[in-house]
Amino acid sequence: MHEPKTDRDARVFALYEQLLEIEQRLIPTGLHVFGRPSSAGEKTDLLKMIASFDRPEAGVRALPEAVAEGAVREFVANGAGAAVRFLEKEGLTPESTRPLFTLLENVSAKLQTNNELDSLVRALRGEFVEPGPGADIIQNPDILPTGRNTHAINPYGVPSAVAFARSEHVANSLLDRYRQENGRYPEAMALVLWGLDNIKTQGEGVAQALWLLGTRPVRDALNRTTSVEAIPLAELGRPRIDVVMTISGIFRDLFSPTVQLLDKAVRLVAQLDEPLETNYVRKHVLQQVEQDACDPDDAAVRVFSNAPGNYGTNVNFMVMDSQWEREETLGDLFVTRKCFAYGRDSKGHAIEGREARVAMDRALSRVEATYQNIDTFEIGLTDVDHYFEYLGGVSKAVEKRAQARPAIYLSDSLSREIKIRSLEETVRLETRAKTLNPKWYEGMLKHGFRGVAEIENHVSNTFGWSATADAVDDWIYAEVANTFLFDDAMLDRLRDLNPHSVHSLAQRLLEANGRGYWEVDESVVDRLREITRNLEDQLEGVHG
Amino acid sequence: MNITVLYVGSSLLAPLKSAEREINHAHRLNLRVATYNFGSPLNDREWLDVEQDLGEANVVFVIHVMDGENASRLVTALERFKDRHDAVVVINCMPELMRRTRMGRLDVNALAGKKERSKVGTLLRSAGSWIGSQARRGKSNRGHGQYLKLVDRLPGILKFVPTAGALTDAKHYLYLFCYFLQPTPANIQSMLLYSLVHYVHDKRLKKIRVAPPEQTPSVAIYHPAARSLFESFAAYRKWYQKRLEPKSTIGLLLMRPQVVSKTTRHYDALIRAIESEGLSVVPAIATLMDNREAVSKFFVEKGKKNVSQIVSLTGFSFVGGPAMNDSAAASEFLRELNLPYRSAVSLDTQTIEAWNESQTGLNPVQAGMQIAIPEIDGATEPFVYGGIPARGQEPVALDDRCTRLARRLRRWNTLQTASRDQIKLAIVLFCFPPNKGNIGTAADLDVFPGVFDVLKRLREEGYRVEVPHSAGELRERLLGGDSEQFGAAANVAYQMSVQEYRRLCPYVREVERDWGPAPGSINAFGGELLIQGLRLGNVFIGVQPTFGFEGDPMRLMMARSGSPHHGFMAFYTYLAKVLNADGVIHFGTHGALEFMPGKQIGLSGECWPDRLIDEMPNFYVYSVNNPSEGSIAKRRSYAELISYLTPPIENAGLYRELAGLKDLVMAYRQSTSETERARLYDSIEALRQEAHF
Repeated sequence: MHEPKTDRDARVFALYEQLLEIEQRLIPTGLHVFGRPSSAGEKTDLLKMIASFDRPEAGVRALPEAVAEGAVREFVANGAGAAVRFLEKEGLTPESTRPLFTLLENVSAKLQTNNELDSLVRALRGEFVEPGPGADIIQNPDILPTGRNTHAINPYGVPSAVAFARSEHVANSLLDRYRQENGRYPEAMALVLWGLDNIKTQGEGVAQALWLLGTRPVRDALNRTTSVEAIPLAELGRPRIDVVMTISGIFRDLFSPTVQLLDKAVRLVAQLDEPLETNYVRKHVLQQVEQDACDPDDAAVRVFSNAPGNYGTNVNFMVMDSQWEREETLGDLFVTRKCFAYGRDSKGHAIEGREARVAMDRALSRVEATYQNIDTFEIGLTDVDHYFEYLGGVSKAVEKRAQARPAIYLSDSLSREIKIRSLEETVRLETRAKTLNPKWYEGMLKHGFRGVAEIENHVSNTFGWSATADAVDDWIYAEVANTFLFDDAMLDRLRDLNPHSVHSLAQRLLEANGRGYWEVDESVVDRLREITRNLEDQLEGVHG
Repeated sequence: MNITVLYVGSSLLAPLKSAEREINHAHRLNLRVATYNFGSPLNDREWLDVEQDLGEANVVFVIHVMDGENASRLVTALERFKDRHDAVVVINCMPELMRRTRMGRLDVNALAGKKERSKVGTLLRSAGSWIGSQARRGKSNRGHGQYLKLVDRLPGILKFVPTAGALTDAKHYLYLFCYFLQPTPANIQSMLLYSLVHYVHDKRLKKIRVAPPEQTPSVAIYHPAARSLFESFAAYRKWYQKRLEPKSTIGLLLMRPQVVSKTTRHYDALIRAIESEGLSVVPAIATLMDNREAVSKFFVEKGKKNVSQIVSLTGFSFVGGPAMNDSAAASEFLRELNLPYRSAVSLDTQTIEAWNESQTGLNPVQAGMQIAIPEIDGATEPFVYGGIPARGQEPVALDDRCTRLARRLRRWNTLQTASRDQIKLAIVLFCFPPNKGNIGTAADLDVFPGVFDVLKRLREEGYRVEVPHSAGELRERLLGGDSEQFGAAANVAYQMSVQEYRRLCPYVREVERDWGPAPGSINAFGGELLIQGLRLGNVFIGVQPTFGFEGDPMRLMMARSGSPHHGFMAFYTYLAKVLNADGVIHFGTHGALEFMPGKQIGLSGECWPDRLIDEMPNFYVYSVNNPSEGSIAKRRSYAELISYLTPPIENAGLYRELAGLKDLVMAYRQSTSETERARLYDSIEALRQEAHF
C-alpha cells in the first residue's frame, strides 16, 4: 500500500478508513434467551476484541493488532497451546501470551454453559445468589458466569487511577477536535454523565469532566476519593473549560459522593486567582455575578439532575408518543426535569436537589459543545431511547439558550484507539453497522416477534436524533423504507411476525416526513400511507 | 471542666452523656461533655460551635473520624487551640489525625517513625491506627483475630508496665484505648475520668480512683430478654424459649459497641418484630472488622446451619469493617455457606428527622458505606430500620420499617420452606413504548422463549403451573385472549372493582390527588380496573402498566412526577393482595416500578416503590451489562438481580454496495496502472454516491 499522492488518492483512502470502521465495528447479533448458552457460533470476533486490552490485574497483555486475527483463529481451531506456539513464531514469548489464552479458554468454556435458569430456581428457594460485577463482556470477562446478583461499585473508588489516566487523552482529543473545527477552545461544554459507563469504566466520564476543568482527584488516607486539586495552568497548557454536568438520576443516586466531588471541583476552579482567558469557569461566574447581581455560590452551580427521587428527562416519552409541536419544547422539557442543583455551597451547606432553573439557563447559554462518553458496543446510540433524551435533550436546550446549535460529540472509549466523533458521524456509523446491516437485522429476525419490535425501536430512536438534534440524513430514512417496507418479501415477513411493530415503523417514517426531517417525493409518502392503511386493515381483521 | 468528643457512630453519645451525669453526681466536677458527630462533613455554622467548644476544652477525644474534609479542618483547629488542651486523645482515625495525639510526653509522630522495641511501643503503633493501616493494605487483616485477643489481654499486660518513666503516657493512651474498646457505660465514664485524673491539674481530681476496664466477650449472642450474653450457641438454645428450628431462624449480626454500651433499643425492636412474625432469632455480636467469626461460631454448628437467613445490622462490609472491604472473601464465604444475606441500616450520620424530611434519603456517606459496599458482598433488602432522633442520644427503631422488614423475612422464609406446589409466583413483563408490538420489551432479550423455558423448569421443580405448548402460544394467549373486548393491549386476567381496590389498597386517596377519582382512564374499562396478564395455575404472567404518560403532555412536563396511576397501583395490589404472590419475577431490563417517586435510597413507607412491592420478595432478571439501572432496582424495589448474558458480538462486516465499494477501493489501492486507477475511481465515485458517502 502506498501513501496518498493526489487529492483523488486522499479521497479514496479516507473512504477506505470509513469502510474499515464500519466493517470492524462490533455489533450484537440477535438477542439472548434467558437460561440458554450463548448462541455465538463464531466467537473469533469477540475473543479478538477481548484480546485487544491489557488487563494488568490478571497479568494479561493485549495482542499486537497485526497478529491478533491469526492467533485467535488458531486458538479457536486448535486451542491455547497452538495459539501460544503460533505467536512464538511471531517472536512473542509463551510467558507473555499464555495468561491471555488461559483467559480466553475460560471465557469460551463459560459461554458454553449457562447458569441463569438454575440460579433463578435457587433464588426462588431462598438460597444465596452470588454477587457479580456488571459490565460488557469485553470490558470485564469476570461478568461470567451470569445468573448472579449484579452489583455497582464503591463510589469512593471513582475515578480510578486508570480511568483518570485514560481520560486525559480523551479530553485532549475532544478539545482538539473542537479547535480544528472552530479555531479556538470552547469556553463551556455540557457533559452528560450516566451511571452506566461510569460504573463500567470506574469513572471515565467523571475523570473527563475533571480534566476539562483542569483538576485532579485527591485520595484521603483511607484511599477514598474525597477531594480535588487544581492542575497548575503551566502544566495544563490550556484554559480551564467551564463544564455543565447534566447527570442522570441514576448517577446521582449511585455516585452521591462523586456528585459532591464534581461540584467541589467547579467551586475550586471558580475561585482560583487566574487570568480570565485561562479560566473560563471563573470568567463566567464573575460575569454572572455582575449581570444578575447574584451570590457567587449560585453562579457556580454546574451539577444538575432531576428533582430528588425523580428520574429521566421525559424527552423520550414525549418523542415516542409524538406529543410535541415545536422542537424547543423538547429542550425546555429537558431543563424543567433537569434543573435541580446538587453539591455543597461554600459555607458547607448541602445542596440536595435545589430547583435552579435560572442558573441552568445561564450555564447552558454559554455552552458551545455537548458531549457524552460511550464505553460500550452493546448499548449504542440507537439501541435505547436514553442517549437522545439526554445528549439530544441538552443539545436542544443549548440551541435555544445559546442561540446556536452546539457542536455535539461522542467518544468511543472502549476501543484500541479512542475516537471522537460528531453526532452525525456516529448516527451514520450506527445506522450502517446495525439498522441497515443484514447481519444485524437478520440476527434480530431470528427472534421473530421481538426482532421486529427491535428494528422498529431502532428506527424510533434514530428519529429521536432528528427531533432533538436534526442529526439524521434523509438517505437514512429512505434506506430504512427501502429495506423494510418497500421490499415486498421483507414486508410480508415482518407483517407475519409482528404487524403492530411494522405499523409503528411505517408511522414513524411518515412522522419523519411530516415534521420535515425527511424530504422525499410525494409518491414515496403515498406508498408509505398505503402500507400503513393495509396494516391497519390487517390489525383490525386480526382483532376486530 | 470541659471535655469535647468528636466521634463517628451511634453507640457513644448515650454513654458519654450518662458519664457526664454520673461524674458530676459522684465528684461534683462541673464537667461538661460536648459531643459532635463527625460522620459527614459539617457546615460553617456547625464548625463555629465545634471551635467554640474546642476553645474551652481541657481534654479532646477524636474517635473514628475518617472524613477527609472534617479531618483537615480539625487538624487546623487543634493546632489553634494547642495551648489550651491538656490532652488530645485520637483513636482509630486517619493518620493525619492520629499524629495530633498529645498526652504529656507521648509523641505519636516520633513513635511512628522510630523502631520502638518495647511491647508497649509496638502495641501503641498498632492499636490506635489499625483502621488506617488496614485501608492502606486494602486486604482484610489476617492478624485481626490475634489482635482482638491481645486487646482482651491488654489490661493484664498493662498492669506490669511501670507507671513512671518514658512509657507513662503510652500506657495511659493504651488504658484509654481499653476503655474505649469495651464501651460499657462504666468504661466510658472511666475513660473520661482517667483522662481528667492524669492530664488535668485540679485539686478535685486528686483523690479520684478510676476503676479498671470491664471486660466483655468479643463475640457472643445477645437477646433483649436475657440478663446476660451467651458465649455459646448451646447456652443460648437452652435459654431460648421457642424452638430454634433452623429453617425458620434468622441470624442477626449486631455491632459490638452498640450492645456493650447498652444502646440497643433499635435492635430490640427489630428482634421483637421478627419474633412476632413467628420466626426465631440468633442475634450475634460481631466484631467490627470481620463477621466470619461470629457466623462460624453461632450460625453454624458441626457443618449444620442454625439459621436460614442472615441479616447484618452492622452497616459495614461483611469482611473489613468501616475502612475497607474484602468483598471477594465475603462473597466466597457466603457462597460456601449458602445463606441469603441481608443488610439493614441504622442511621449513623443523620437524624431520623433529617432522613424523614430528606427527599434523597440516606446522605452520601451512608449511601456509600452502608449500601454500596454491602451490596458488593451480596447483600439484599437495604432497609433503614432505625436511627437517632434529633433530640435523642441513642438509636431507636422505625417501627413500620421493622415490621415491613420482618414480614419480608417471613415471606422469604415461606419461599425457603413451603412445598413448591403451594407457591404462587408472578412473572411481570414490560411494554415500552406502549404498543402491543412491544409486549415483552427487554434490553437484548427475547422474552417469550425465556419465560416459556422458565415455566417448563418450574413445572419440573414441582410448582403447579400450566405450561402452554410453545413460546408462540404463550405470546398469542397473552396478547390475544379477551383483550379486544376490553380495548386492552393484553388479555385481562382480573377485573378489580373500585370498591375492592379501595378495600385492598390503603393509598387510593393519595393516588387520587394526582390522577383523579378511581378508576381513572388508564387500564380501566366499565368502571373497573383491568389487570392484564395470564393465569397459568399458580403462576401469573402479568404485563406491567406503563407510566401513563400516553396522550398526556401536561403530565410529562412536570418537574416532579406524581404517584403511580390507579392502573399501576391496582396491578401490584392484585399481585400482593388478590393473587397473594409469594414472589415476583420482573423479567428483563427494565420496568417502571423502581423509578416511581420516593427517596432515592433508604426508602420510607411513603415511597411509592416500597408501597408497590409491599412484602413480596422481588427477583429481577436483569442484563449483566447494566449495573447502574439494576442497582436502582436493588435499592428501590429490594430486587435480587439474576443477571443475563448479552447477545453474541461480531464485527459488523460489509454488505451490498458497501462490500462492492470496498472491493473497488482495494483494487484502486493495489493497482499500479494510472488508467486503471482513473477508471476505478469513476466507479468508486458512482458507488459512493449510491451508498450516501
